[in-house]
Amino acid sequence: MIIKKHKSQWTALALFVGLAILLFFASRDFLAMRKDPPIYPGPGVTRVVKLSTYYPTIAGTDDDSEVYFLEGDERGGTALLVGGTHPDESAGTLAAVIVIENAVVKRGRVIVIPRADHSAFTHTQPLEAYPQTYSIKTPRGERVFRCGSRHANPVDQWPDPLVYVNPFGQTLAGEEARNLNRCYPGRKNGYLTERLAYAIVNLIKKEKVDIAIDLHESSPEYPVTDTIVAHDRALEIATEAAMNLEFEGMEISVEPSPKNLHGFSHREWGDSTQALALLLEVANPAQGRLRGRTDSSLITSGKDPYYVRAAKEGLLYVPFTSEGHPLKERVGRHLEAFSMLLKVFTEHNPVKGVTVTNLPGLNEAMENGLGLYLAPPSS
Amino acid sequence: MSHVYQAITLIFVLLVGWNMWEEEKFVKQLVAILVLIPFILRLLMIK
Repeated sequence: MIIKKHKSQWTALALFVGLAILLFFASRDFLAMRKDPPIYPGPGVTRVVKLSTYYPTIAGTDDDSEVYFLEGDERGGTALLVGGTHPDESAGTLAAVIVIENAVVKRGRVIVIPRADHSAFTHTQPLEAYPQTYSIKTPRGERVFRCGSRHANPVDQWPDPLVYVNPFGQTLAGEEARNLNRCYPGRKNGYLTERLAYAIVNLIKKEKVDIAIDLHESSPEYPVTDTIVAHDRALEIATEAAMNLEFEGMEISVEPSPKNLHGFSHREWGDSTQALALLLEVANPAQGRLRGRTDSSLITSGKDPYYVRAAKEGLLYVPFTSEGHPLKERVGRHLEAFSMLLKVFTEHNPVKGVTVTNLPGLNEAMENGLGLYLAPPSS
Repeated sequence: MSHVYQAITLIFVLLVGWNMWEEEKFVKQLVAILVLIPFILRLLMIK
C-alpha cells in the first residue's frame, strides 16, 4: 500500500512538473499580449500625449494609450482619426498607424488615436481561436501587429453586469459594458470602458475637433459594410465623399446613423460634441461567422473559400471572389475614404480646412502593398 | 474584487492540487491537472 502511495505521488510530481512547463510557455504567450508593438512617428507628428490627459482617472490603467498630433503650419480645422476601437478589426488600427508614420499635414491638424481600446489589444476573443498577431513585410524586416478582441480585457474590467444599461438607458448584453463602441458618450464614474469613452469625448470637446472618423471592419454578411455611417450633421459630406469615391471606382455606400441607436461613436460624438461624426466599415472575412480556418493569413490575405461560396449563394452584401479582400485593400479603402472626407470637408468649410499629404490611397496600397508605408522594425 | 477572486481561485487550486497529490489513480490525477490549467492561468492573469 505504501509502495503504491509512493508511486502515485511520483506520478503526481511528474504531472506537476509537466504542468509548470506548460504554464511557463502558455503564460509567456498570454503576457506577451500586454507588450505594445511599436509605432514609429513619421515626419508629420509634432507631439504625442496620453489619452488620460483628457480624463485623468484612466491614467495608469490598461485603457490609457497614446494620442498623436500632426499639426500643419497653416491654420485650419481639426480632424480626429480613431483606430483600434475594436482591435480584432485590423484594418482600422493599421490605417491609423500608416497615417501616423506617413502623413504630413499642411493645413489644420489631424489627431490620431491608433489603439483606442488599449485593454482590448491585450487578449483575443474567447472561443474564437483568433491569432494573437499578424505580420507585414517591409523592405527591411517584418512588422508584427497585434490582433486583439472586440471587448476590453476582463482582467481590467470585471465582473460584467448581467445586463448592461448604457448611458441612455438602453439595455444590452452584459459583456457590451466592455465594448467601447457601445459606451459613448461615457460615464464620469462608470466602468473603465465608459470612462475611456468619456475621455475620448472630452478630447473631441477640448481640442475642438471638427470632423471625427472611427475606423472599423465588419463581416461580409453584415448589411452595414463597405460603407460610411454618418451622423445627421455629417450626412452631406459623407454622401458627397461617397459619390466622389464611386466616380473614382471605389464602391461605397452611406448609412445614416439611426437616431435611437445610442452608445455608438457615429451617434454620440455627433450628439454630444460639435464634431461631424463618421464611422467607416470595410468587409473582412475574419469578422464573419461563415469563415473557415481563422489564422493570421486570413487576416492579411482576406481569402476564404466559404465566403466565395456564400457570395455565389447570394448571401453577402459585398462581392467576394477567390481574390478575397486582402488587408492592403481594406486599409487602402480606409485611407482613400479618410482623404476624400477631409477633401470634401475642406471644400465645405474653407476656413476650417484640413489638408493632408503623403498618404497612400487604395490604388497605391494595392499596387505597392502596405509594407512600403510602414517604417522598418526598430526604426 | 480582484483580490477576493484571486483568493478564491488560489484556494480552489490548492485544494485540487492537494487532492491530486493524495489520489492514487493516474487517470484521476491527469483529470485534476487538466482542471488546474485554466485556473492557474487565470491566477497569473488577474491584476
